Amino acid sequence: MKVDQDKCIACKRCIPYCPMGTIQSFHRHETIPGRVFIQIDQDACTDCGMCYRADICPVSALYQPEEAWPREVRGILSNPLIEFAGSQVPGRGTEEMKTTDVKGTFLPGEAGVGVELGRPGIGAYFRDVEKVAMALAPLGYNFAEENPVTHFMENKQTGKLRPDVLGEKATSAIIEGKCKLEELPAVIKALQKAAQEVETVFTVEVISKVTPDGQVPTKEVLEDLGVWYSINSKNNMGLGEPSFNFYPEAQ
Amino acid sequence: MTHSLHRRGNRESLENDFIVLGCPATGVNKVGSAPKTRMFLSICHKHGPVNLGDMKTGNIHTTTMDNILEKCTDGTIVQVTYDNKDKIVSLLKDFKENRPGISIIISGVTDVVQECMHEAGLGTIHSLEYSLGTWGNTERLPQFEILELTTMCGHAMIAENLIDKLLRDIKRGRRTIDEAAKELAKCCSCGNINLTRANELFGKLLPKYMVRHLY
Repeated sequence: MKVDQDKCIACKRCIPYCPMGTIQSFHRHETIPGRVFIQIDQDACTDCGMCYRADICPVSALYQPEEAWPREVRGILSNPLIEFAGSQVPGRGTEEMKTTDVKGTFLPGEAGVGVELGRPGIGAYFRDVEKVAMALAPLGYNFAEENPVTHFMENKQTGKLRPDVLGEKATSAIIEGKCKLEELPAVIKALQKAAQEVETVFTVEVISKVTPDGQVPTKEVLEDLGVWYSINSKNNMGLGEPSFNFYPEAQ
Repeated sequence: MTHSLHRRGNRESLENDFIVLGCPATGVNKVGSAPKTRMFLSICHKHGPVNLGDMKTGNIHTTTMDNILEKCTDGTIVQVTYDNKDKIVSLLKDFKENRPGISIIISGVTDVVQECMHEAGLGTIHSLEYSLGTWGNTERLPQFEILELTTMCGHAMIAENLIDKLLRDIKRGRRTIDEAAKELAKCCSCGNINLTRANELFGKLLPKYMVRHLY
């Protein structure tokens, strides 16, 4: 996001709306006497467009120029209104467990694992995203093909990202994929180690198919590892049609 | 996309916080899904949501229900937020009789969601996603009371500084608590802000907040 310095009056109304914090600085206009304008730190800004959408600027000084590669990845991952062509889903991830009832995305014996770097409210550079992706790759973790971060990998076997995106920053970037349930402890331990090495924060989520008698297979794994999980969760109701057959052998 | 998952709060605060999502599946039932999504929204609207929206069009606090329905296309993902369990039970009973056909997901306290499903006669949860919390450089995060408000927008569009500004505005009499909650809903176009909960959280934060400069 940029500010038109000929229009900006430095009223500061946009500043509280920035999810990345106070990343603005004040400057004297070179040709308009007495005029002060705001400049946005372009390295810290993720092009999420929140200040623009807040419709708070009284002089319409905020504008989002069309950005070239690699900077365009900031808007793709940070602006929730931009749809990534690879996933065909607006926002920064995939349909993940939302449509597993009709697609069979996460089968019995599998665990979905998502890691969202930069959330909440800190932002993440792709050099941190790469650290986490490379920690997961050797553990039998399969990156979701349609996920934007997977598209930015130069090697999906190692999790290494394209070097030109490493200095870019997003409000958040999600690594999505799955592993066998028995590999989940190793994946969790690798994430605990990666947590010591990143500059930013990340949220972690695990997905599993609930058994017909109501057991959540990942719960036992988490409890054995002594890993905290929240009382609130995201739950697929199984009402999508046509429903995927998760237990063909039972028929 | 896990934007309704990582809401922070204690049980008392979260047990009346539900986000219901309607999502068509790419490659399965996405083509021709717009009427199904409209049906999903119309059913949800009957059961008294506190928020309802589509991230591209906006939510009922920034636009009209008619506009949201009109702008639904194949592939639109919609979110509806409720502030009590009884509404979820009646909604699920309705879905049991009238299935829109797209996938339906509910974020909420796990055992409460399961209880609602049983009460509606829907059996067990199909698939479940746990939040394992926030890891890494967590010293950079704001205090928990601020996170309770900011994490209601899973796209992280609610700034910590905005909560600070809204609290200041309320203290100075420039906005009511209700108006501050609506400002959050304006920033989170998806419709994930639970305005009832936001009102309660602002009310809880106000006595703790010190205005540094009165004017």
